[in-house]
Amino acid sequence: MASESTTSSGPRLKHGVLTVLAALGGSLLLLFLAAPVAELIITGGVEGLARLGTDAELRQALTLTVLTATTATLIGVACGTPVAYLLSRRAFRGRALVSAILDLPLLIPHPVAGIALLLVFGRQSAVGSTLLELGLRVVGSPVGIVCAMLFVSAPLYISGAREAFARVDPRYEAVARTLGDDAWRSFRRVTLPLSRRGMVAASVVMWARAVSEFGAIVILAYNPKVASILSVDRLTTFGLDEALPVAGVMAVLALIPLTVLRALRHDRSVTVLP
Amino acid sequence: MIDIRALSARLGDFELRDVTFDVPASAYGVVIGPAGSGKTTLLEAIAGVVTVRSGEVHLGNRNVTTSAPDERGVGLVYQHGYLFPHLSVLDNLRYGARDAAVVEELVARFEIASLRERDVRSLSGGERQLVSLARALARRPAVLLLDEPFAALDPRRRGKTRREVRALHREWGFTALQVTHDFTEAGLLGDVAVLLDAGKVLQFGPPEQVFRRPKSPYIAEFLGAENVFAGTARVLADAAPDWLEEPRLGGDPASLAHGYHAIEFTSGPLTLYTVGSAGDGPCYAVIRSEEVTLSLTPQSTSARNEFQGRVTEVGTLGAFARVTVDVDGVPLVAAVTTRSVQEMGLREGAVVWAGFKAFAVHLC
Repeated sequence: MASESTTSSGPRLKHGVLTVLAALGGSLLLLFLAAPVAELIITGGVEGLARLGTDAELRQALTLTVLTATTATLIGVACGTPVAYLLSRRAFRGRALVSAILDLPLLIPHPVAGIALLLVFGRQSAVGSTLLELGLRVVGSPVGIVCAMLFVSAPLYISGAREAFARVDPRYEAVARTLGDDAWRSFRRVTLPLSRRGMVAASVVMWARAVSEFGAIVILAYNPKVASILSVDRLTTFGLDEALPVAGVMAVLALIPLTVLRALRHDRSVTVLP
Repeated sequence: MIDIRALSARLGDFELRDVTFDVPASAYGVVIGPAGSGKTTLLEAIAGVVTVRSGEVHLGNRNVTTSAPDERGVGLVYQHGYLFPHLSVLDNLRYGARDAAVVEELVARFEIASLRERDVRSLSGGERQLVSLARALARRPAVLLLDEPFAALDPRRRGKTRREVRALHREWGFTALQVTHDFTEAGLLGDVAVLLDAGKVLQFGPPEQVFRRPKSPYIAEFLGAENVFAGTARVLADAAPDWLEEPRLGGDPASLAHGYHAIEFTSGPLTLYTVGSAGDGPCYAVIRSEEVTLSLTPQSTSARNEFQGRVTEVGTLGAFARVTVDVDGVPLVAAVTTRSVQEMGLREGAVVWAGFKAFAVHLC
């Protein structure tokens, strides 16, 4: 009996130690992720929100950030949805290449993405000079900010929307087609409502990524300043105290998509089942 | 009419190959075949939701091979219903409906009035199938494609729904093609049966013919024939026995006019007599168990193939029993009523006479 007890307590002890280590590791990581943001919101967020009434530059930067991120997201949704649908539904020659192109902006460093965009849209480039002749300035303008945001965040939307479409069984569309819907109508009446939650989540992720973008924007359009540029600008010019309110407000801003995503996770209005 | 000509289609790794058959206008076709044989893909290719690689699909008198699904006039009912979960049951029923009156008629006929306001996600599998059937029918399609539409229904509801669909089929005159695993259902519903395996049509024709005249021993066994014997056939053209001319004894004089002849078939210790168009040589004999009769004394008729044997197994299933008789080492299975088993006192070891008519033996 004694030896049986000793034999069975060995694995139990090992299991216990592993559980404690796993819990400790997980807790430390959570603390590492949450503590700086919490500290930022507590020290800078409150002051930043209070400064919104008096700090015109901060107000303008936040407005510009929200507007450009929303514009980039709308363009991404409008142009990315067909691509996402195509990738989730059709097997076609070059699909792997299209997927790789979409993954590229996620893999390259964002300043490098900014340089690449500068090469295409800079004044010396064919595209940039043509656009300038047409009165559309990309570099150093809100258009450039939208371009930079779109470049780095659209792949996230396409990837999320593609997954959302993939979760909708194509047989729903097949049934809708035999019930008299053409392809567009079945997409609008069946596919879209069934993938709505995933698509909204993907667009929220894209918006959040666009809001937080710095690396590509700093190359393509340092001015007018979006919030992320402003926070770094104030850090380098005036020091941490001046940067904190801007960074704090941005951290508060990040809570909006987080809340939306959590709400979507609890939305059970659409459950896909045969 | 559904007219499929040399149809090939691919869905993922699965491929339909050179599928050819037709279901006449206003007829009811059934597709039978093992799981993974391509039955659902076939329906989807006819509906136009799976791209056809080659061949043609004709519905009515139109070649619809390249037509969009919404232009084909087909209704498609999947086994799992695929009711739209973001819509109510009533909105599902109205989705493609011609008019509200048709919806109401179908709601009444399928007895689903109580489901109208229900959330689709709260329906049972059987309820989903009923709503899905009504939804497809509400459009009044010219061709109705059904993928095991009664599989999730309880036996009472299944029979009732089957009769209702058949009644609507007669009244509205649409052409139907239904996938089923249920041979009884295939026999009850079908005017035409299509046997599909590994993406190919093995045989098609009236269910009676497919079940009684299978083209191969594989088909025979798939369709539930339990007596399949490998052996050798020998034509008895010059020595046609008297029974061939005598309808009372199982013969059919008219068949001789079609080139049929008497055949002796030998399989081990068994020698059977049959009528058909087969020539000399190795082949298989198929005798459905329901064609085999059992008696305690020999039946005095030369038309019968009759063998004395010993009962080795009696398996009862409700009103019917499956009795295996050992005839010189060859197992012969007979399907008889449980009442007959009781009346004859059949049990293991009992000596009986197993017989079947010459026309019950099919060579393939």
